[in-house]
Amino acid sequence: MSRNLNKLLNYSLLKISLIPIMLWIISSLVFILLRVAPGDPVDAILGSGADEVSREFLRNKLGLNEPLISQYFSYIKNILHLDFGQSLSTQEPVLNIIIKSLPASLELGFFSILSAILIGFPLGLIGLRNRGKKTDYIARILGIATYAIPPFWGAMLAQLLFSVFFNISPIGGRFPIFQQQPQITGFLVLDSILSNNIIALKDSLYHLALPSITLGFLLSGIFSRSLRVNLDKTLKSDYVNAAICRGISRKKIFLNHALPNALLPIVTISGLTMASLAGGALLFEVTFSWPGIALRLHEAISQRDYTLVQGIVIFTSMLIVSLNLFVDILIAYLDPRIEY
Amino acid sequence: MKKKIVLSIFIILISFLQNSCGSKRISKKIIVASSGKIESLDPARANTLKAIQLISSLGDTLYELNSNGELIPELASGMPVISKDRLQITINLRKNVFFHDGTAFNSNAMKFTFDRFKRIGTMNYILGNKIKSIETPSEYSVIINLNKPSSSLNGLLTSVNLTPISPTFYKQYSDKFLNEKFVGTGKYVLTSFSNEVQSIDPYLNYWGEKPLNNGVNFVGYSNSSSLFGALKSKQIDVLLSNSIDDSQRKSLNNLSKNKQFNEGNSPFTELSFISLKTSSYPLSNLNLRLALAKSLNRKLISEKVSYGLRKPSRSIIPPILKKDNQELWPKYDYLEARRLLQKENYCNGNILKIPLTYRSNVPADKLIALTWQEEIKNSLKDCIDIELNGVESTTVYKNLSLGIYTAVLLDWTGAYSDPEAYLTPLLSCNEIVDGICKKGESVYSGSFWGSNKVESLFLESEKISGIKRLEKLVEIEKIAASSIPYIPIWISSQKAWSQNKISKPIFNGAGIISLSDLELINE
Repeated sequence: MSRNLNKLLNYSLLKISLIPIMLWIISSLVFILLRVAPGDPVDAILGSGADEVSREFLRNKLGLNEPLISQYFSYIKNILHLDFGQSLSTQEPVLNIIIKSLPASLELGFFSILSAILIGFPLGLIGLRNRGKKTDYIARILGIATYAIPPFWGAMLAQLLFSVFFNISPIGGRFPIFQQQPQITGFLVLDSILSNNIIALKDSLYHLALPSITLGFLLSGIFSRSLRVNLDKTLKSDYVNAAICRGISRKKIFLNHALPNALLPIVTISGLTMASLAGGALLFEVTFSWPGIALRLHEAISQRDYTLVQGIVIFTSMLIVSLNLFVDILIAYLDPRIEY
Repeated sequence: MKKKIVLSIFIILISFLQNSCGSKRISKKIIVASSGKIESLDPARANTLKAIQLISSLGDTLYELNSNGELIPELASGMPVISKDRLQITINLRKNVFFHDGTAFNSNAMKFTFDRFKRIGTMNYILGNKIKSIETPSEYSVIINLNKPSSSLNGLLTSVNLTPISPTFYKQYSDKFLNEKFVGTGKYVLTSFSNEVQSIDPYLNYWGEKPLNNGVNFVGYSNSSSLFGALKSKQIDVLLSNSIDDSQRKSLNNLSKNKQFNEGNSPFTELSFISLKTSSYPLSNLNLRLALAKSLNRKLISEKVSYGLRKPSRSIIPPILKKDNQELWPKYDYLEARRLLQKENYCNGNILKIPLTYRSNVPADKLIALTWQEEIKNSLKDCIDIELNGVESTTVYKNLSLGIYTAVLLDWTGAYSDPEAYLTPLLSCNEIVDGICKKGESVYSGSFWGSNKVESLFLESEKISGIKRLEKLVEIEKIAASSIPYIPIWISSQKAWSQNKISKPIFNGAGIISLSDLELINE
């Protein structure tokens, strides 16, 4: 057992040692791409009416007239000190902006994944239990369809239906305009609970419901399909047949043998889905005016706010890389078939 | 049977959700929505319409423009007094005015605001080198010393960027921005601020008329569909039109005609135009520029692209800033355009190719370009070929002065309400060689057109005021209209829509909505 743990530790250290290289590549790519992309942050800040003298003054002030190589080295040096700089448009430290908007995205991501599991798993199980029947086909079509719908379109449709037509959901935002939101951690649901504020809890869940259920519904397909396929495979495996022959009850076989094995690939999928949320949530947050990190990124790109874009992309990359690392180690730990 | 049960459950669930979810709206504040967020409430930094809108409710300017474009004293107690040599402007200030922090408004506050804006203001270029210094001869009067006579300064005095702020409160921020707070003298006090939602309450110590409402919540949505949906589903009370799609504008316009909403319009101030590069062939040829101007069917473009909501314009000065509504640019006349082209040996097998650049991220631009291209295909197919080229807007702005674009679609809104704010950025030039501008504003507008006559008229206009000055500025426009470095297309206005329970939104002459006049008329 201790030999296995040592091996796992070595495996984890090897994976961790790759992180700085990955982050260096990502941050360098971000730097280069932003510099070769068309547009000038000075125009975004001053507007097109400013004269050349004002533009030059601001360019010098922002260090944009420095040679690219010296801009690059100071940028890398700052990142190593976890200093993402100041937003070009607001002069606010980038890290502050990230810290302020990250909870909104994480909260939406968490509830979306939760909704996806709550919708996807029953759909997969119903499909499997009714193999070849009408319900199975409906579950399968639903699974494929939700996976195929572009998130922004699904979001707009949900908004139109539930916010405008039925008028049962707010059109956007995270909290009622006319209420003071609790401010402890930035996670409004958690803050409402911590401050023992039932009304705030109800309000934050009310605002969270439509975006998270819609995103969860769109992500549920991948969960329902993979659960169905993996569960089907495990239920047909030799060890399940052997357990049936030994007279173990079907419920026990399902819960103790088939389901844990079928869930292993789903852990990987969950990790990948969380990572894909970082990009996919961008248009989702824009549609629902959800004040998360993706909406900030969208605004920063349109304003050519180099430092903010760099900061958000690198921070998001760090999150994704860390999440993937965690999933890799978890899978290695859970699945004895993986060699390390 | 099963289906009926499921349907019934669904209907009950929807009804339940409609009546139970979320807090009931208990606030009597009016909810005003527009697109985007407010980054900063610092008047020295604010440059978005939304921020300017909010600051104008939290603060007062020295003067305001009414909807007829006339100067109305606000914090000034009378009209500015200009010295004989036109280098000094004396402004007497209103007494018994207090900032939201309780300190008194006086000439020191005015000087502090001016100096701070000159020092750190993001848009301090609008002052240029016009202001030499500000003096405070008494507690309630200021003297503005100018470097050279400037008659456009009246317009600058209405600028929201120069809204007086409390020197006491901003003491620590005299050299840096204060983004999330605002202490001015306005009708409203800021009660909460986040990038997405801002809340303002009436200021009880306000010197003038009190607001007609109990306060306003300002909210930003990130896209046009959300704004449109929020107004239709009555989740907001007032919608400001900046960045709303033309199709949705049209829809709201129709709904307003059917009395479902109240619609308010600002004066027309946003000009869309085509900038022609006059420094090289083919558009260095005046007849070709004239032919292009005559080939532009503005009425058709306005109807096809904006559903007739934007006003076709043959002038670069907005109507509100001119006493007459004279349109100077040539009318649409494709037969005359053909004649001019034939005169320059085009049409008979020789087609004039014009690359037209449009901003790919501005939806209306592409539609204007396509409509013009189609119109030319219909009427002048054998004479002109418009080649479209979509480029992202920030790239267009960056490359304009490099002379890359033969013809490019742009728009312009003056930084202050004065004809000069439209003419100078498009027509002025510091160095002219053979009618080509080498250095100056017209280079940055992509036309490279320069005229010594125009420059001398600009100088003359600085020394006079009133109707005579306006006549000089119109003379400048006439010269531009006969030389055609630009082709104006249309001029747009801001719009706002309110629910029927709220009074109709009213704009002032600078395109700012008067939030204090919004009133709940049927609770």
